[in-house]
Amino acid sequence: MKFRCERDVLVETLGTAGRAVSTRSGLPGLSGVQVELVGDQFTVTGSDLDLTITTTIEVSGESDGKAVIPARLAADIVKALSPGAVELSTEDDTLRISAGRSDFSIRLITSDEFPKITDIDAKPVELDAEQLAHALKQVVLAASSDDSRPILTGVLLAAEGDSLRLVATDSYRLAMKDIDGIELLSEGEQVLVPSRALGELHRILANGKSITLRLGEKEASFTVEGVTLTTRLIEGDFPNYRGLVPDHHPNTLTVNRTALLDALRRVKLMAPQEGTPVRIEMNEHGMELVAVTADVGTAREVVESSYVGEDLVVAFNPRFLLEGLEVAPGDDVTLLTTDELKPALIKSVGFDNYLYLLMPVRVS
Amino acid sequence: MRVVIAECTVDYDGRLSAHLPRAKRLIMLKADGCVAVHADGGAYKPLNWMNAPNVFTEKDDAFVVTNNKNESLTITLHEVFDDVQHILGEDPGLQKDGVEAHLQQLLATEPSRLGDGMTLVRREYPTDIGPVDLLCRGKDNEVVAVEIKRRGEIDGVEQLTRYLDFLNRNPDLSPVKGMFVAQEIKPQARTLAEDRSIEWLEVDYDDLRGIQSPQQQLFR
Repeated sequence: MKFRCERDVLVETLGTAGRAVSTRSGLPGLSGVQVELVGDQFTVTGSDLDLTITTTIEVSGESDGKAVIPARLAADIVKALSPGAVELSTEDDTLRISAGRSDFSIRLITSDEFPKITDIDAKPVELDAEQLAHALKQVVLAASSDDSRPILTGVLLAAEGDSLRLVATDSYRLAMKDIDGIELLSEGEQVLVPSRALGELHRILANGKSITLRLGEKEASFTVEGVTLTTRLIEGDFPNYRGLVPDHHPNTLTVNRTALLDALRRVKLMAPQEGTPVRIEMNEHGMELVAVTADVGTAREVVESSYVGEDLVVAFNPRFLLEGLEVAPGDDVTLLTTDELKPALIKSVGFDNYLYLLMPVRVS
Repeated sequence: MRVVIAECTVDYDGRLSAHLPRAKRLIMLKADGCVAVHADGGAYKPLNWMNAPNVFTEKDDAFVVTNNKNESLTITLHEVFDDVQHILGEDPGLQKDGVEAHLQQLLATEPSRLGDGMTLVRREYPTDIGPVDLLCRGKDNEVVAVEIKRRGEIDGVEQLTRYLDFLNRNPDLSPVKGMFVAQEIKPQARTLAEDRSIEWLEVDYDDLRGIQSPQQQLFR
């Protein structure tokens, strides 16, 4: 294999595929990326068995070939080279990287230690990349990062009428988004996609306008502008999220989202430790945010708002509240509550396709 | 244990000579023969001491302690304020991690927290290389050796691997599966466990104790 390519293009390509490379696997093959040159098409694949990222670029090819190279080392070397053209070539068990006066020779990884990557045999579906990226940003944040509850580390994709519904929950909050006009799954059909893969997909989506999705029985793949991300699907039953969303809330607070976010960020300064709640005091005059840290101090801020309901004080983890408000669409949001212990619902005024459900913190 | 509070001077003679001028101090005379002189500062360290074995001689106005290395510690008592003696008996030893023991106890009481259908065979199951925290049976009647730690690190996985190696030599138990349980398991330990086909599980200590977190959950 031998080709020439611009350094910056190669850095981005190795970096993108390298994001799927395992950093803590005991298998030597998984610390590498597979590189393949066919004509002028150079393809790099990284995988940790759960997530695989393949990216293809056009280069000036001289001779075809295929090898597995150390992912981190190769990326670091290319990144450190002077700007301009870089030449990569393999011979026997060595990869040679040269640019200007720099010349590196590094040992290849045995090819048979790299996992076999197969294409998903499923009908491709085209989605709007920007629309999906926006939905992922709103939902993925609510997925759990706790690997001991693997079901909760996934984002549910389900058919909902003529929409595609995305749902994620870490048991403390739940985010749900419907993307209208996408008939990806049959009614009643649903899949659970690892949130880590969708987080990586969100990065890639910035590069394209359209995304091609293939849903297999155990895997899903997403292709955007020469980059294909393939992920294993999570097996198991997602919690019955429909039963978690209350259909009746006697109390409704309506507030400007930006004003609430700004006030919350200020008040949160007095709740610096994870777990210190911020209270929302609601009455006929509107709302007041309060944060108290014993031995440190108190923060209070009145936020202009309208409230219909009984006087109520409800407390939340400020991080969860902030994250939900940050991704909610529109100018105004409503906070729908039942009492100080039952789930509260954040919805955007004028947007019915997104909701954020949040459990309060019990305070004395 | 004899505890004496006294105005004293202390003279050590041996590898060097040392003198503590007259002052009020605590003198501890332990049942194992050790003698230690403490001030009201210096944390846990005595000002001077003599370990056992030694010969203790009590005079009217002094304690003299000597050993076979020709060292001597002479504590001259000028005024005694308190002199009490208590038999403390055998000490149960330092419990380094009460949480770990309590986790074991809680999971032994409620083994279903380890997995559906899990039942306890025995707590502290003995092997020649040490006791396995819990020996259980899974829902398919398979034998599961459970190692419990407060913080799950690589050495805990190694320890469980040794137990599994040993237990699997017993035809009455084999095949024995492993389960590594901790409040928090380090990524390296998870990877090593998975590489050795050992299941790992993080448990919530407060939840096991029935203590409700202020942060409520939508579901459990």
